[in-house]
Formats: sequence, structure tokens, C-alpha cells
Amino acid sequence: MIEFIQICVDGLVVGAIYALIALGFSIVYRVTGAISLAQGGFVIVSALAGFTFTETLGMPPIVGLPLAVVLTTIFGTVLGAVTFVPALSRLSNSNVLMITVGMLTLLEGLSFIVWGSQPYAPPPFSGQNPISIGSVRIPTQDFWVLATVAVVLAGLWYLIGHTRLGRALRACSENPVAASLVGVNVPRVTVLSFMLATALAAIAGVVVAPTTTLQFDIGRLFTISGFIAVVIGGLSSSAGALVGGLLLGLATQLATAYVSSLFSSAIALLILLGVLVWRPGGLIRSKVVRRLDVRDEKRVQGHLLRFPPRTAIWLAVAGLVIALALPHFITSRGVMSSLTIAAIQFIALIGLDLLMGYCGQVSLGHAGFMAIGGYTAGYLVINYDVHPLLGILAGMGLSLVCALVLAVVTLRLRGLYLALATLAFSLLVDSCAVGFIDITGGPSGLVGVPSFSMAGFDFDTPVSMYYLAVGVSVIVLLLLFGGLRSRFGRAIIAIRTDQMAAGALGVNVVRHKLAVFSISAVLASLSGSLYAFSFNFLSPDMVGVNKSFELVSMMVIGGEGTLVGSLFGCILLTLLPTIFQSLAYYKTLASGLLLIVCFLYLPQGIYGAFAERLVRWTSRSGPSEAALDTSGRRAA
Amino acid sequence: MSNPVDSVQGPCVLSVRGLSKSFGGVRAASDVTFDAREGEITALIGPNGAGKTTVFNLMTNIFPYEGEVRFDGRDIKGLSPIQVAQAGLIRTYQSARVFPGMTVLENVLMGRHRLLKSAPLSQFFWGRSSRREEADLRRRAEGLLDLVDLLKERDTHAVDLPMGAQKLLEVVRALMSQPRLLCLDEPAAGLNDRETEDLAVLLKAVRASGVPVLLVEHNMGLVMGVADQVVVLDAGAVIGRGTPAEIQHNERVIQAYLGREDHATA
Repeated sequence: MIEFIQICVDGLVVGAIYALIALGFSIVYRVTGAISLAQGGFVIVSALAGFTFTETLGMPPIVGLPLAVVLTTIFGTVLGAVTFVPALSRLSNSNVLMITVGMLTLLEGLSFIVWGSQPYAPPPFSGQNPISIGSVRIPTQDFWVLATVAVVLAGLWYLIGHTRLGRALRACSENPVAASLVGVNVPRVTVLSFMLATALAAIAGVVVAPTTTLQFDIGRLFTISGFIAVVIGGLSSSAGALVGGLLLGLATQLATAYVSSLFSSAIALLILLGVLVWRPGGLIRSKVVRRLDVRDEKRVQGHLLRFPPRTAIWLAVAGLVIALALPHFITSRGVMSSLTIAAIQFIALIGLDLLMGYCGQVSLGHAGFMAIGGYTAGYLVINYDVHPLLGILAGMGLSLVCALVLAVVTLRLRGLYLALATLAFSLLVDSCAVGFIDITGGPSGLVGVPSFSMAGFDFDTPVSMYYLAVGVSVIVLLLLFGGLRSRFGRAIIAIRTDQMAAGALGVNVVRHKLAVFSISAVLASLSGSLYAFSFNFLSPDMVGVNKSFELVSMMVIGGEGTLVGSLFGCILLTLLPTIFQSLAYYKTLASGLLLIVCFLYLPQGIYGAFAERLVRWTSRSGPSEAALDTSGRRAA
Repeated sequence: MSNPVDSVQGPCVLSVRGLSKSFGGVRAASDVTFDAREGEITALIGPNGAGKTTVFNLMTNIFPYEGEVRFDGRDIKGLSPIQVAQAGLIRTYQSARVFPGMTVLENVLMGRHRLLKSAPLSQFFWGRSSRREEADLRRRAEGLLDLVDLLKERDTHAVDLPMGAQKLLEVVRALMSQPRLLCLDEPAAGLNDRETEDLAVLLKAVRASGVPVLLVEHNMGLVMGVADQVVVLDAGAVIGRGTPAEIQHNERVIQAYLGREDHATA
């Protein structure tokens, strides 16, 4: 019983923190209609800054911690004002979500550079001795957390309910256009909402710091928990964030204590999926309904890129020749290995681009499918001596099943919710990879995966593996381009930009989305298997959430909606850190920064920008040829 | 009130009986009854807010409703909008909804979606049946584009076309699906006079090719010029029906237009 009470208190404390972060999500969402995943990043920046000020620089906590909160808030507001806010008017909702992934990555990269990868454990505010109430012993920090959350909630309630600023916030959340017509400065309110959210995250950071171990990359855990909490509770109300946070805190703590820590994120995921299916609006729904679709439609930018057929063939041939010749010019073993990894990841990226670039469905959990592919193939080959090819196929089959189950559960979800569901899925896979030690080898990884071999040939060198990956990519690309140039491709592009109009022409929206999701999951799985065979090893962090984020960055930087564009992002982010060893240190930071910059200033990506120039150039130099083509066709 | 139509009557393609719908307290459609016949252009007119587009949305099952809608002899109540489309009732939207990210030609090709038969595998494997089907499709689409003078724009990004051309493109896209009934929601909105004339020619050509049309329209000049039958809605209810000539002299119709708002001049 005592143990139960203790766990419940723990749950409430954790839940209170989740609630603070969730509130930030809710405020930003209500004002902008978008979700900022950067929240968790600010939690960790503020917590680490607090540690530096109080422990390293020796400031008293009463000065150092508020300073950390203030500085983080200022930094966050500036970051938001130059990235998130301009993105709102330029990008579609799902791309705004991706830019916040970029911000989260940036914050993690920054924390890594400033604080390194070692863990920090700040001391509690008022000593290690817990307070005993009866026989229940409660750490003093718990009181600090609960009191802080209560004070913040009261302040927020006053701010939103009883001030001019609060009224402006509420006006923007009901109808931004009408608000601007009556004189509310909507852009400023948007920045303010982001500032409020950052401040909430920063406060959560300094009070939660002593109860946990801080590391540069745990920000995303706070993001995910806060996000799950707010979706459970309901995105459009403050009460929802609070209820969702507490509920999630209690549930995960009880699950950790009585079932297993392995399943605490599984429980969170199950609650989330249950709520999404049973009450998609969250447990507590606000009276004001925000129409997502209206905003979304206006900002979907379809960019058009069509090479004249002859140019396309020439480019394809040139690309293939370069790809095949490349290994002969590379002497460094390290560079060759990186190139091989890039080629293997490219297979997953093709699938991701089909899903996101063509069909407009956001997946933040594609590494989950890579993990399934890698572990399944590796496990079967090691333990049952299965032929590697069968192992790969088994992984693809299992991924297909998982994708279908996930898709059926999330079929009604769009945009944000689908992104969240895939993220949660990836997390679940990750915790299984860590937890099922007998199968996956746990945190230290699956060791001794043999090289891929087929028909008596061992693909045991980077070069042979490279050619294998290139071969697979070419086949996959040929198949997909075949599909994309016909009925299937047109249908999915139509779905991306206007689901309703596509339906009115008889396009079965659900079936097409399901097909695309399945194809991309299977490709990710294939890539994951080859990944494991290539490294002869697979560990959870090789295919964790960070890999999912990295895949998205690569795709956007390269150019989405082109199938081949992601190759450039992939090479850039894989090869550069190898060539310039000192850059490896800045890799996370750079990938976040590049993602943001690309979204804001080069939305069509590196390849997209290059191709656009090329198309313009070829169409200018050869108008007669194009005319001839038209007349020729008409004659035929 | 209803003027019985005594001229040659083709069989009904669409028959709407007692269609009713309330949104909250607002009665958006009440007991709407009308037919669209083979070989005719039927126009649905009425002042702003009369419920014309609502009738479209109900027919295509975007919202549930009371009443009966029979299409091609089949009860289509309860089918999903997609199934309605697959049955051959193809609609366009008030604001042109061409697909961004596609060329003009591809937009037209998209219209054919429901009729294409090549197997998915054949598409992915560049199979002969799929390639042949695509080539055939292109020829058809280019023919239709030529009809509305858009062939020279076939490789243009569809959203870069001027509004008028986008509306025509949407009509052409709908035509590409060989509809059993073509339902156009204010196709002339946003068109200039010349484009409206082009549209009238196109609509007559569509009728001549055997595709019946149901038209929601504000532009009285267009309606009076092309429609065979006119159904007048006001405040969600049918207040008159007949040939354009009959409607022009119908007291209740004149009252509905002039008595409330006077913007509905030709």
C-alpha cells in the first residue's frame, strides 16, 4: 500500500512536469494551429544551463535557476521568431512540424557541443533527505515540482483569463483573421505564444533536473511525453493538457513499477492510440473547434518538376555511370564505408520520399521499420542459420504487418496525429530493441551478424555491399517511377494536395495511403536488413528515433518529392562527417541547422533547386524540339 | 407552382426526392425534389444562400440527409463520396480545385482515374497494358484540351493558369471521367465574358456528346442560354421549375430575386 502511494506520488510529480510541457504545446497549437516539437529541447537546455550556473559557476540556485529560465526563454523566443513564425506563413502544417524537428535536432546538437555527451545529475533544491509522512517518504524535490507547477498554473490562468494579452491569445486561437481585423497584432501574439511555451518548458527543465539524469539527447523524451500528454488530454484546452499530463505520469509510473520499465512507453503508446481511436479530439474537448483542413489546404505548395524525357534518360544514365564508377576513384576505406552506408540508407529514403514527398503523409518513425528489418534478418540468420535473403524477406513481411496494423489504427489520423503515431511506434520498437535482450542483445546490440551472401558470393567488403545497394536502389527506383508515371502516381499526388477533390474523381484515398505506407515500410525494412549485414552488428541507437529524424533531414535537404533528391542529403550528412573528422562533432547541430535553412530558404532542396535550373535551361535552349515533340505526337 | 414539362422527356439520370437537411437550427434544404434528364442541361439557380451547393454536397453524400437520391436507377444514399464518383456522378467545386504539383495535362489524365484498368503490378513493371493505356489516355486528354484551347499549355503547372482557364480545366478533367452526369458548381464564377461564352459552347458540346449536365450557376445569361430545364431554389426549398422562358416570367422567382437582393441581374 505504502509502495502504491509512493508510486502514485511519483506519478503525479512526473505528470505535473508532463503537464507543463503539454501546456506549451497546447498554447502554441491554439494560437497557430501547429505543433512545436522543440519543446523538449528547451527543457534540457534550461536544465543544463541551470546546472552550469549553480554547480560550475557556483551561483546560488535562487539566482542561477531563474537566470537559466530567462536566458532559455529569450533564446527560444528568438529562435522561434526567426524559424517557426516565418515557417507558419510559408509551409504546410506537416512541414512546420518538420521544421520543429529541425529545431529539436539543433537544440540537441547545441547541447552536445556545449555540455558534451556525459550525464549530469544536479542536486535537489533542498537536500537529499526525504520528508516522511506516516511511512511514506517523499523526496523534497517532489514538493518543489508540485508547488512550481501550481504557481505556474495559477499565473497562466490569470494571464489567459484576465489580461489584455490573454484576450488576444484567445482571440487568435478562435479566429486569427477576425482577430487581426479588430486590431490584434497576430504575428506578435504568435511569437508571444511561442515565448510562453518556451518559458513553461524552461521552468519544467530546472525543477525536473534533480529528479533525473540529464543528457544532451533526452530532450526528445520530454517532447514525446508532453506531446502524448496533450493529445490524450485534448490539444485545444489547458485543462486537457493538465489532465493528460497527470494521467500519463501516473500510468507510466505504475506500469514501470508493476509491469516493467520496458513497457512504460508501450503503455503510453497504448493509452495514446486508445484515445486517438476512441476520442480523437482528446479527453477534454474545448467548445472552440479549430478547423485544421482550412489552414492546411492553402499552404500546400505543389512544386512542379518535369524533365523532358530525353534529358531524364541522359541524367539517369549519367547518374548510374557515376554511381558505378565511384568506388574505383575512392582510396580511403572510411569514405568507401560511408558511401556504402549512404547507398543503403538511400533505399529507406526512397520509401520515405514516396510517403512524405509524394503522398504528404508525415512519418517520424521510419527507423522503427529499419530496426524491424535489421533485427529480424540478423536474429534469424544468427540463430537459425536462415539464408540471408529469407531473413530480409521475413523482416519485410514483419514490417508490412506492423505497418498495416499501425495504419489501420491510425487510418483516420491525418498530418500531426499520424506523425505522432509513427513517432510513438518508433519509440515502441526502440524500447523492444532495448528490452528483449534474448533476441536483440539489448542496449549493447546484436553482435555477429554475418555478411550478406547469395549464390555463393559473399558481400563482405564495403565495395561489394555498395554495388548490392546500388543495384537494389536502381531496381526500386525503376519500379516506383513506373508506378508514379501512371494512375497510381497521379492518385497519390492528388491525395497530397486535395484529398476531397481526389475522392470526387473516384480515387480510393484510404487504399492508396495504405499502399504507400506499406511500400515505404517495406523499403525501410529492406534498408535496415542491409544495414545490419553491412555493419555485422546492430544496436538500438543505430536505428532509434535520432535515425528517423536524420532520415527526414536528409530527405528535405536533398529535395522531397523527387525520389532521387534525398540521395544528395544522404551523401552530405553521411560523407561530410567522415571526410572532415572534426565535423563529426557538429553533425547533429549541422543537420538541424540545414533542415531549418532548407525549409525556409530552399524548400525544394539541393537536388530540387539544381533540377529546376536545369529544366529552365533545357526548355530555353530547345523550344523548337519541344514543339516538334508535340506535333509529332499529335500526328501519331 | 410546378410547371409540368410536356415536351420530349428523356429518362431520368438523377432523381432527387424530398431531400432535407438541417445544420443546427438552419434548414439548408427542405423537401427538395427535382430530376435531371438524359440529354439535357438542368440548371439549379437561386439567390445567395439558397442551398444550391448544399444540394450538391448532399447528393454526393458529403453529409448525411433525409430523402432519396436515385442515380442511374440506383439508390445512392449512404454510399461514400468516392463510391458516388465511381458510379459516374462527377462534380466540380465552386473554387477551382486543380491539383497543384501536376501539369495541365496530368490534371486531365487524373480525371480518368476511375476508368483505368491496368493492374498495379503492370504499372510498376512498365507493363505493356499499362503503357498502352497511358498512351491512349494521353491522346484523349490532348483532344479534350484542344477543345478548350488549352493544348498549348499542356506542360504548364496547373496552378499557374489564370482562374478562368483553371475552371475550364476542372470541367475538362471531370469530362475525362466519362461521367453519367456532370455536376458543375458555378463553373462561370470568376470567368470573364469571353471565357463564359467558351464555357457555354463547351457545355452545349457536352450535351451533344450525350452527357447530361447539372449546373449550379449564378450567371443568368449562361443559364438562360444553355439550360433545358431550370430549377429555382430559395431558402432551401424549390420555388419554381420549368424552361428558361417559363422561369423568366415566374412571379415567385422574380420576387425571390428582386424582393430580397437585386444583384442577380444577367
